[in-house]
Amino acid sequence: MTWYTLFFLISLLICLANLTYHLIFLLKSGNTPDYAPPSGSIPSGIQYSFTGAMSPVKKESAFLHLPTYTAGIIYHLGTFLSVFLIFFMLADVIFPPALSWGLASFLLVSALCGIGILVKRMIKKGLRELSNPDDYISNILVTAFQILMGLALVVSNIFTPWLFLAAGLLLLYIPLGKLKHLLYFFAARWQLGIFYGRRGVWPPFKNQKT
Amino acid sequence: MEKTVIDKGLKVFENGGGAKLITHLNSCVHCGLCAESCIYYKATGDDRFTPARKVDLVASVYRRYYTFAGKYMPALVSARDLNEDTANEMVDLLFGACTMCGRCTMHCSIGVDIAYLVKMGRTLLSEMGMVPASLQSTVKAAVETGNNMGIPTQEFVDTIKWMEDELADELNTKEAQIPIDVKGKKVMYTLNPREPKFFPLSISAMAKIFYAAGESWTLSSNMYDITNYAYFSGNMDEARLIAKRMWDEMDKLGTSTLVLAECGHGSRALRWESPNYLKQAFPFKVKTSVEIIADYLREGKIKLDKEKFKEAVTLHDPCNLVRSGGICMEQRYILNEFIEDFREMTPHGIDNYCCGGGGGQLAMSEYNERRMKTAEVKADQIRKTGAKIVVSPCHNCVDQLTQINFSFKLNLQVKTMAELVADAIIL
Repeated sequence: MTWYTLFFLISLLICLANLTYHLIFLLKSGNTPDYAPPSGSIPSGIQYSFTGAMSPVKKESAFLHLPTYTAGIIYHLGTFLSVFLIFFMLADVIFPPALSWGLASFLLVSALCGIGILVKRMIKKGLRELSNPDDYISNILVTAFQILMGLALVVSNIFTPWLFLAAGLLLLYIPLGKLKHLLYFFAARWQLGIFYGRRGVWPPFKNQKT
Repeated sequence: MEKTVIDKGLKVFENGGGAKLITHLNSCVHCGLCAESCIYYKATGDDRFTPARKVDLVASVYRRYYTFAGKYMPALVSARDLNEDTANEMVDLLFGACTMCGRCTMHCSIGVDIAYLVKMGRTLLSEMGMVPASLQSTVKAAVETGNNMGIPTQEFVDTIKWMEDELADELNTKEAQIPIDVKGKKVMYTLNPREPKFFPLSISAMAKIFYAAGESWTLSSNMYDITNYAYFSGNMDEARLIAKRMWDEMDKLGTSTLVLAECGHGSRALRWESPNYLKQAFPFKVKTSVEIIADYLREGKIKLDKEKFKEAVTLHDPCNLVRSGGICMEQRYILNEFIEDFREMTPHGIDNYCCGGGGGQLAMSEYNERRMKTAEVKADQIRKTGAKIVVSPCHNCVDQLTQINFSFKLNLQVKTMAELVADAIIL
């Protein structure tokens, strides 16, 4: 085992332990009991929260900002792909050149999306005022991870140590700032589904017939 | 600012929010895509009004005292001390620039319940004694006199008797009554105090509907106020006290169904929040007046004249009733029963824009100018429908719409649902 894979594995362990702590804390906190009788279905509300309500057709934050929304989706796909691939790297799996170049090309696009989002944050006054160092660091770490993954795929020997170093730093950073939305995103949509489902708001109009 | 005051505020993060509070405090990613969903941002273009900024004010205080990064590296995550500057900014943005309409919540890219966090922020400020004076005086009036306008009981009873005489004259029968404090009736009907104070005809409108439907009903002279402005001030003790009075009155009069007058936040506070204030399930049925009118129509208990209104009618959806209460199609069912030319606003239903009067804004004169600036959004929506009548099942919305009508010279009639239905009822 190399020093950089060891660093990565230790970082992974620390990250998982931290996120597990957050998850257990959330589960232990529980939901406060709601004594008001429901007028809708909580399961349907939760289902809609993760599906229809996320649709760019329904969500104003998406359809009014289609370039940003699309860039965000691609950027996230690039992150998921990089996380998936790093375990292949860890196992010294070597991909056929065509596949490596294909994956690296996609990661180049997703990293460019990340850079675009970062630039937008820097140049738009409203967004800049809303931002803190965590917003920039989070983006830079994730984007660097994707770029290095792409480079490691096609120029393996040189960039592999840097990739594991960047991945390790990213993992160590996740519990500190907004990147922990990888856990809280699901919790938030779950909670919103409970709220709107119980009140018969989501799915829209289901419980109200003319 | 004294430490004891700060500690009182911070208790909000420790008491009772559970997983929901922790989740939403940790979820915002500062994408800022919520901006256009807010009427304050939409009307002014001021970045300060972006909903994410309001979330961040509350969450930054939480981070400072309850997270590792916030405690040891506050600059990294913009964690803020709860001090006078932070609290004053919170008052301005959470009370003065948010109607808690929840439109941003529905469209948040992550799913942060922004309106809920604003409410928690208001509760924090309430614990610190920083509720705007005008809003607090409305709550105080309700707590001390039993209704938010401080109407003396005798004045209320006299108004009701006057309306009863008017109704009997209009319908030419002494059987059309407005019963007060009659025990053992099926329904206890509530009112928004603006009705007996300024718009008593809306009371007789609903009385006419009850008469036509043959309903067994009564008003209470002791506790008729459906509003609960403590929900907006964030003072849960006062909200609980106001709600409990209504529950106690139902018990005292022995009525089985509480019918909520046309008041968005009052309906929400009673239907959805009061069981949680009191930590028990309802011992009686609760219905909004929109639901009960729709029931009467479905059951054939009332008939409406389809020829009565030839003008175009549009509907304003009250946020608390629709987006936070799930009552979206009942009002449309009613209107489609007798309005020939019903025109929807764009957007409408659960996506409708707030009129600008919610969240206690109408009670907070400090922010009148800002409130009427946000009203541009609603004025524009109404104007585009070309309607001559705008109906809304919420007295607060009707107040704001009336001001919009005047300020933006829309030249239309503003009515409650009961008023519109009563005008078309066939007896």
